[in-house]
Amino acid sequence: MASALGRLGVESNSMRRYDVALGVWIAVLAGVTIYGAATTEGFLTVSNMKAIATAASFVGIIAVGLTVIILSGNLFSLALGQTAAVSAMFFLWALGIGLFPAIVLTLVLGLVIGAVQGFAVGAWGANPIIITIGAAGLLEGTAVWLSHGESIVPPPGETSWEHLAQPVLGLPAPVYVFLVVTVVLAVIMRRTRFGRQIYLLGENRAAARAAALPITLLTVGAFGIASLYTAGAGILIGATSANASLLLTGSYTYDAIAAALVGGNAVTGGRGSIARTAAGALFIAAISDMLLLRGYSTGGQILVRGIIVVVVVVLTNLRERSR
Amino acid sequence: MSKNGTHFRPRAGELAPFLILGLMVLTLALLPAFTEYTVRTANVYNIFQNFSSYGLVALALGLTIIVGEFDLSVSSMYLLGGMVAVLTGAESPLLGIAAALGAAILVGVVQGGLIAGFRLNSMPVTLGGFLVVLGITYILGGGKSVLYENFDVGLRLDEPVAQIFSIRSLVALGIFAIAAVVLRYLRVGRDMRAIGGDRRAARVAGVRVDRLLIGVFVVSALGAALPGALLSYSLATASPTNIGFDVLTFSATAALIGGVSLSGGKGGPIGIAAGVLSLSMLQEILAILRSPDYVSSLITGGLLVVVTIVWAPHLLQWFRTTRVTTAVADERTPA
Repeated sequence: MASALGRLGVESNSMRRYDVALGVWIAVLAGVTIYGAATTEGFLTVSNMKAIATAASFVGIIAVGLTVIILSGNLFSLALGQTAAVSAMFFLWALGIGLFPAIVLTLVLGLVIGAVQGFAVGAWGANPIIITIGAAGLLEGTAVWLSHGESIVPPPGETSWEHLAQPVLGLPAPVYVFLVVTVVLAVIMRRTRFGRQIYLLGENRAAARAAALPITLLTVGAFGIASLYTAGAGILIGATSANASLLLTGSYTYDAIAAALVGGNAVTGGRGSIARTAAGALFIAAISDMLLLRGYSTGGQILVRGIIVVVVVVLTNLRERSR
Repeated sequence: MSKNGTHFRPRAGELAPFLILGLMVLTLALLPAFTEYTVRTANVYNIFQNFSSYGLVALALGLTIIVGEFDLSVSSMYLLGGMVAVLTGAESPLLGIAAALGAAILVGVVQGGLIAGFRLNSMPVTLGGFLVVLGITYILGGGKSVLYENFDVGLRLDEPVAQIFSIRSLVALGIFAIAAVVLRYLRVGRDMRAIGGDRRAARVAGVRVDRLLIGVFVVSALGAALPGALLSYSLATASPTNIGFDVLTFSATAALIGGVSLSGGKGGPIGIAAGVLSLSMLQEILAILRSPDYVSSLITGGLLVVVTIVWAPHLLQWFRTTRVTTAVADERTPA
């Protein structure tokens, strides 16, 4: 976060106009949120804060993983919801061989699913959006085929997984997982060669090619991490609902993308951070929660999310352009 | 990319849709030889019904890909078209269609205006648009499915014409024919391919890029709303349920096997029609074989992945470099 702010300070001359616009937008959002928080009954309670943190953690884990794809300049994946649902189904099914092996196998499955998509994108230049739409179809088909269209429940008598959904020190376990995996990924992206190379790849593909960066490997890594994180979220989602089917796909794909975009990551890649996405996920969870408490329908919540996404996309792009 | 690549690709791309279509026709024709089933005119009717439900969305999406953009919002625009038509068309179905098309024009102008005016990437904008349009559809329907009481309209729309067609499929086929003529013989077709191929050059050459882009996004929204509205009349119901990317998957696959290139500037309505017809036949073949639903999503998803990889810009290059490296390695290996 510190380096991102530093960057803002250094380059503010060339982009003052859009910084002002973005600042105004953030101020408006903050104003509305504070007003809403103060006037919505039941919003500023401890139990509601916990609810927001829990809601943000599932989407947040997927969104921070997705951020690596965005930073690498490969837009986003449209197979995340399906990956999460398939991981949840696989995890509950695999519990028969024990909790630890089930977790490891699910994560490996997620990693492989993402790596294969990343290979097609990185090595052959396949369009990431279309590849992931196709992958989503394949995941859905395979899941229905292997599960015979039935939802998966944990093996009878097996209760080890219940810890994954239980509160620890007052907060549900997924919240801690979200925190830890976010910090780990933030460090990887800032401090390791892999992270810096992803930033370079997203910022300037031609330069990355000229510098002989391993573009295929980096892309495989980006999609692999996104899918690995999504599988991790899938495990937690499966453990929380104790019953997994493709219905779990829900709106995780769009929510995760919305969180990353609302956080202000540049869609074209190279600019943004893991922390921004985590903030975006918390913000979207807070807004959705507030709308829910105020009695807005599902439609109203989706509509507001969409409007926020469009405005942020316009403003971030203008700001990036003026650099 | 290399010169060889650009010479080779268009030919393969132009022929492929019709080869695939031929393959589907052949499969359909051979079906009676391997199963008890005899293919009837009812099956041909069904194929054209599939065509009418999704064809125009594929055309709409295909046009946005030709100009080098993409419209993720078609799947929710499809739902909104149905919802608006059902809600406003209780008295007069034509009024309902007009209202749905009006809503589509509004959505297209806003999305196209943002994308052209601010030179934005169309993926995130239309993703936001997808959510906005879906939200509006939910709100209009009160979060539930809405029944269309005027059942006669649906029956009339689907009544067989000349045994194999219906009003619904004739509308879709007619629009495809008009689009094919417009894109082939009017300047707008050439301009679209130009801005998809090299936008900067097109701008310098005097093509009104921004106006054309907005127009394409309006057409894209219309192409999603019209079949959505007609299908809702036909089913006598409109639903806001997020059907995910089913419509999008079908139409993207159809457009791409129809020879539309993701790098922009290539493809046209006739190829897209061949792509839609192929996929519609595939659906019917699977229905005849009584295959479960998942087979259809496996085949469509698999086709989409394969076509995307075949169209990928670096595929040939990749094979060439791997072959060279192995050849070099072979040379170095002492005999």
